[in-house]
Amino acid sequence: MSGKTAFFEHFDRHAHGKGLKGATTHYCPGCGHGLAHKYVAESLVELGVEERTVMISPVGCAVFLFYYFDTGNTQAAHGRAPAVALGHKLANPESIVVSYQGDGDLASIGLAEIIHAAQLGIPISVVFINNAIYGMTGGQMAPTTLMGQTSTTTPHGRGRMQGPPMRVSEMISQLDGATYVERCALYDQRTRKACKKAIKKALTLQVEGRGFGFVEVLSECPTHWGMSSIDAEAHVRDVLSKAYPLGVLKDEAAEPWFAPEKPCFDPGRVVEVIEASAERPERFCSGFPEHVDPVDVSIKLAGAGGDGAQTAALLVTKAAINEGFDATHIPSYGPESRGGTSYADVHIARDEVLSPAAPEPHVLVAFNAPSLAKFASAVRPGGVIIYDSSVISAAPEVDASVRVYPVPCAEIASSLGARVVKNVVALGALQEALKLLADESFLTTLRLSLASKCAMIPVNEEAYRWGVKAVREGISAFDD
Amino acid sequence: MPKKQRPPVVLTPALCKGCGRCIEACPKHAISFGEEIEQTSGYVPVVIDYDICNHCGLCLSACPEPYGLGNTVYDLEHPEHLYGERAARPPRPDDIAARQIPLPELGPLVLKGNYAAAIGALLSGCRHVFGYPITPSTEGAELLSKLLPKLGGVFLQACSEVATVNHMYGTGGAGLPTMTFTSSPGFALMLEGISYMIGAELPSVFINVMRPGPGLGYIGPEQSDLKLCCRGLGHGNTHAIVLAPTSPQEMLDQTMLAFELTFKYRNPVIVAADGFLGQITGRVTLPDAMVEPGLPGWAVYGDAAHSGNLNSSIFQDWTELERHNEHISAKYREMQKHEQRFVANHADDAKTLVIACNTPARMAKAAVEQLRREGLPVGLYQPVTVWPFPIDGLVPLLDHVERIVVVEASDGQLEDELRLALHSAGLRGPELSHLRHMGGILPSDREIIETVRGVTREA
Ligand code: SF4
Repeated sequence: MSGKTAFFEHFDRHAHGKGLKGATTHYCPGCGHGLAHKYVAESLVELGVEERTVMISPVGCAVFLFYYFDTGNTQAAHGRAPAVALGHKLANPESIVVSYQGDGDLASIGLAEIIHAAQLGIPISVVFINNAIYGMTGGQMAPTTLMGQTSTTTPHGRGRMQGPPMRVSEMISQLDGATYVERCALYDQRTRKACKKAIKKALTLQVEGRGFGFVEVLSECPTHWGMSSIDAEAHVRDVLSKAYPLGVLKDEAAEPWFAPEKPCFDPGRVVEVIEASAERPERFCSGFPEHVDPVDVSIKLAGAGGDGAQTAALLVTKAAINEGFDATHIPSYGPESRGGTSYADVHIARDEVLSPAAPEPHVLVAFNAPSLAKFASAVRPGGVIIYDSSVISAAPEVDASVRVYPVPCAEIASSLGARVVKNVVALGALQEALKLLADESFLTTLRLSLASKCAMIPVNEEAYRWGVKAVREGISAFDD
Repeated sequence: MPKKQRPPVVLTPALCKGCGRCIEACPKHAISFGEEIEQTSGYVPVVIDYDICNHCGLCLSACPEPYGLGNTVYDLEHPEHLYGERAARPPRPDDIAARQIPLPELGPLVLKGNYAAAIGALLSGCRHVFGYPITPSTEGAELLSKLLPKLGGVFLQACSEVATVNHMYGTGGAGLPTMTFTSSPGFALMLEGISYMIGAELPSVFINVMRPGPGLGYIGPEQSDLKLCCRGLGHGNTHAIVLAPTSPQEMLDQTMLAFELTFKYRNPVIVAADGFLGQITGRVTLPDAMVEPGLPGWAVYGDAAHSGNLNSSIFQDWTELERHNEHISAKYREMQKHEQRFVANHADDAKTLVIACNTPARMAKAAVEQLRREGLPVGLYQPVTVWPFPIDGLVPLLDHVERIVVVEASDGQLEDELRLALHSAGLRGPELSHLRHMGGILPSDREIIETVRGVTREA
């Protein structure tokens, strides 16, 4: 052949390069694949990028693409070549990645992958071989099989029940993410030249970081069309290219844009990004709240989504961990946490929280009546219940040993001008009723959590103090 | 260019399949179908009339064969070409080893399990994360989509779990650490890709925050993917190391371990957590070092040094494919030999042994502590690797263990692993009983206590 190409000089992977296989392809005589390969192989060398190229082999007749291309090669699962290509491209943005696929692979099983890769628009190059038939599996119908065309799965010709053929390039060209889409053929000197040019153009767009290039190649499958090579060329010219018109479907001017940053492994930066710090939080407690439980205190906070039960639970957990105890928080999660009910189970343990659920809590904080009704009876004898008396009118009937504190959390919060802090009122009440940690444990954790919203710190501190006061002074209704 | 100055067109008959596409391409009609069968290939090559040919070369770009038509004779007779000595290539590049970078001493973080695993991935040097949102695993992807851009990394939200695993196949194939967060229905969609990774020997880490099925099931905690993780990783002879954390701390630690093991064995690693472990918040102590990944010699990185490499799981020759399977199986045996991990509590003199992993192991530990306080000889054996099942640590305990109670949030999937491991070790094992929940309900410590008391009383 003429110029240099990115083909191996000898196909060692083709039957170990034994005999003629070392110098010939596995394709049938007259198959269009060999030509499309050749144009990719020539273009890669002309652009000087063959050494940094990764060819993605599809499933289909081109599965053995890696026999021929002296580049990096990855063989992909059926239809997934564009997804694999993106994995490669993002791993090494300087690599040139070509996803080479047939019509079954790209237009049937892999349709989601190609559409989303095109819409994403990251510069990779896709060569789409459309021969309107499944080659490798033996001539079955492809999404691109023409109406009336027989195949081994449309023995009477493709009809209404199989739906019309899919025009993939037209579809891709509708996507905003795609930069360049062209349909080519291989049936004569002129179309072959145009095809080579299109492939090179798609690759150039990638080399320059400009965008996603897609080249559809109407290709001959003499074997499953049951034609000679020459007749197959004529069939593309006279039939296939009428159903799938040749030409540029999209060619947008695009500036080079694809230049991702290099991954950073600077430990200082990593520590900063994960918001870790060498500082150990100050401790304010003298010891574990053994008066509540010798080793493990469990708390349930319950309300409606938006009551702040989870935030309060997290604050308790953080405050306890800052004091050197072990603590856990499990939320009710998923759709439930969006508007419906919202429960949180918290444990504080001297050494290690074992079971993290709180089916029989020492403490219940209830923000609404259903939550109180649901969990009040689960509270252990000698435990504590705090409920928002601004929204719950009736006190729960519980074991006499359970101490019950009605606290008008919502009303206090409203009077402070910030309804969202009603959970912090509850937190102050919780600490005052139970002497769980120290006031400063909670206040410090509050301040740390609000470090990025400093303006909110005073109102939160005030809410906390009001909670303490409500329990201390027995304020169950609030009038401002 | 005048004829004399153009290089002549040379046909290598043995490499011509006789398709005749060059015949149409030749404006001089110098090429015609041949009549003689070429003995070496069995095809009938075309014939060129060199008296007519003016060296225009138009036939060259019409020939689908790389070396059928050229400007020089393809050296077919060269013994290397004929018998397949590898053509000279640059030697495979050296492995660039991952590097441990010390971290300063840091205070503990308070993290949700999913966040802890995400930070574990960052500290393992993972900068390429792909994913598709699914409760209860999504927070991992959310945090990484926020943090990765600050570290020159990429989070790409894929169009599906199928695409996710194939993005990972690409990045893993390029030799870089990559991972995803998913949950049972999503994990099921990734299985084909995992099989391909195992076949092509590519690294990748999956955090599967298990939820109940079958079908859409719901989003609570369950352990009913243990079967998939241990026995059902797609088609073919597949296995992967399956780690089972019990806390946010272990979500971080085991994610980091998973990255180490996935590169060590060139095989995916699965961190199988239950829904609670994704959602639970707790104390997390950071490690004293982070990792800067290397670049393995086998990687298809897309640079000159690695350009000879191939990721593939296809072998046309059945003998070769069997050999490839044997090679992979040999890795499984190595994993079984070296990677069994477990934690035992009060197991040394236990007569009743509770076996549990993930969150149920916490309940089991609470129950065992309580029963020990009551004087019952009960212990806990917690597999940290569910595959390989840590049978070697269990065997010596069977001298004194009279009964085993398997506690799990599935219909016996952990117990099946235990039974298989016992059987493979040639042991009948002691009497087995169990406590199971499904649907999102976890066995409570109280139930475990009652079950253990019950089986001890019966005995
Ligand atoms: S079956 Fe068709 S597409 Fe496949 S190699 Fe043969 S001619 Fe080419």
